[in-house]
Amino acid sequence: MLLFFGVLFLVMIVYYNYRRRKTAQEKKAMKALFDQQLMQARLEVQEQAFTYISEEIHDNVGQLLSLAKMQLSALGDSTLVDHDTLEAAHENVARAIRDLRNLSRSLHTGHIRALGIRQATEEEGQRITRAGQLLVSVTSEGSERDITEDKQLILFRIIQECLQNCVKHAGATNVNIGFTWYPDQLRVRVRDDGKGFDPEVTLRGSAKGLGLQNIRNRARLTGGSGIISSKPGEGTTVTVMMPYE
Amino acid sequence: MRIHWYTYFQVFSLLCAIFCRRGLRLYSLGIMIPILVLDLGTELIGTNWRVFHWKNNYVIYNLYLVLSTPLFLYLYSILLALTRQQKRYYFAAAILLEVLVLYNFFSYQGPSEFNTYSNLLIQGANIMLSCLAIARLAIGGRDEEAIILQDPRFCLNAMILLFSLVTLILLGLQKYIVVHDIEIRHKVLYFAIMPIANAVLYTGYSCAFLLCRMQTSK
Repeated sequence: MLLFFGVLFLVMIVYYNYRRRKTAQEKKAMKALFDQQLMQARLEVQEQAFTYISEEIHDNVGQLLSLAKMQLSALGDSTLVDHDTLEAAHENVARAIRDLRNLSRSLHTGHIRALGIRQATEEEGQRITRAGQLLVSVTSEGSERDITEDKQLILFRIIQECLQNCVKHAGATNVNIGFTWYPDQLRVRVRDDGKGFDPEVTLRGSAKGLGLQNIRNRARLTGGSGIISSKPGEGTTVTVMMPYE
Repeated sequence: MRIHWYTYFQVFSLLCAIFCRRGLRLYSLGIMIPILVLDLGTELIGTNWRVFHWKNNYVIYNLYLVLSTPLFLYLYSILLALTRQQKRYYFAAAILLEVLVLYNFFSYQGPSEFNTYSNLLIQGANIMLSCLAIARLAIGGRDEEAIILQDPRFCLNAMILLFSLVTLILLGLQKYIVVHDIEIRHKVLYFAIMPIANAVLYTGYSCAFLLCRMQTSK
């Protein structure tokens, strides 16, 4: 009996070691997969950022500067100075400069760091509201807490991604970004009144699906989680839970 | 000069230990060489006791228990990777064990009678310590992907555990075996099983030493 228990003990130890090894290998494989997904997400995010900059320059700044150039050319052809046209050209150049500055601010990380996540989000909301496609409101509950700069940046990019989705895909008119400051974590909820979608289907493929995956991956980078809930015709809610530590 | 067949396993494991001494040092198992020299010396003298005109060979085996105990206790102190606090308790318990073995050798059972109590006590300690060392290897090991079967310390401890269990059972049941005259192939159970247990033990040792060498050459 004693010998049986001795042998049983050894067998159990070997089995325990086998299970431990298997778990470690699975963990390693999962980490490798996650790193790979993360890398892919980073590349996609970078690509999206370039597309966004290109579109902004082409659609806004480029248009305004082209218009200003045409107006100035017209002035150059005539011998009399048309003050109205000159004023309009001046206004267009000023708008182009403002748009460029806004674009630069929304991309520059120092700006987000200086303002803090809530205020930077409010500014971004105002910028989008000014563009006229979407009415963005920002609310905050609870007392604000300090968050590391890296986490602020990741969170801000998530919010930007959500807002871009609202403009490009959702066809929404109103968006609410709600900050809830819990004792141990921050909840950010982005709710729109757009056309909604089936998350299961969308997450399986398409560029939008990749964008949603990026939101989840980025949320995971902060040590938190990202939940996307939506139904066709009922808008979309993206909830990000992020621990402070 | 008589030599039992299982003594060749002892010689082989000693040669393995010398051959793989670098690997043994890497795993802090260098103490195994003096242990094996002591084992072999005891076995050779114990088998040929008539040459020395002794009444029996109990003295030499009893002396072996006295001398090998501190060596094994030292081995376990390395294998268990104790903290400073734990080391203090461990050495206190080790000294107590050695004192009991010495007391039994000099006074209680005496050198001319086989020190069964010492043997039972040592085998019990061996079982407990080898179990702890194995558990430490399995649970406390930093490398989660390490295969325990390829760890020489596991092999060594597993063999000591099994050998000690067999010895403990046989010694514990000795009276019962004698009263009921239990034999295998006309041999008393103890003498029938112990050579096999010895052969298995020293083969296990040899495997552990070769594993040490394999790990060094990796």
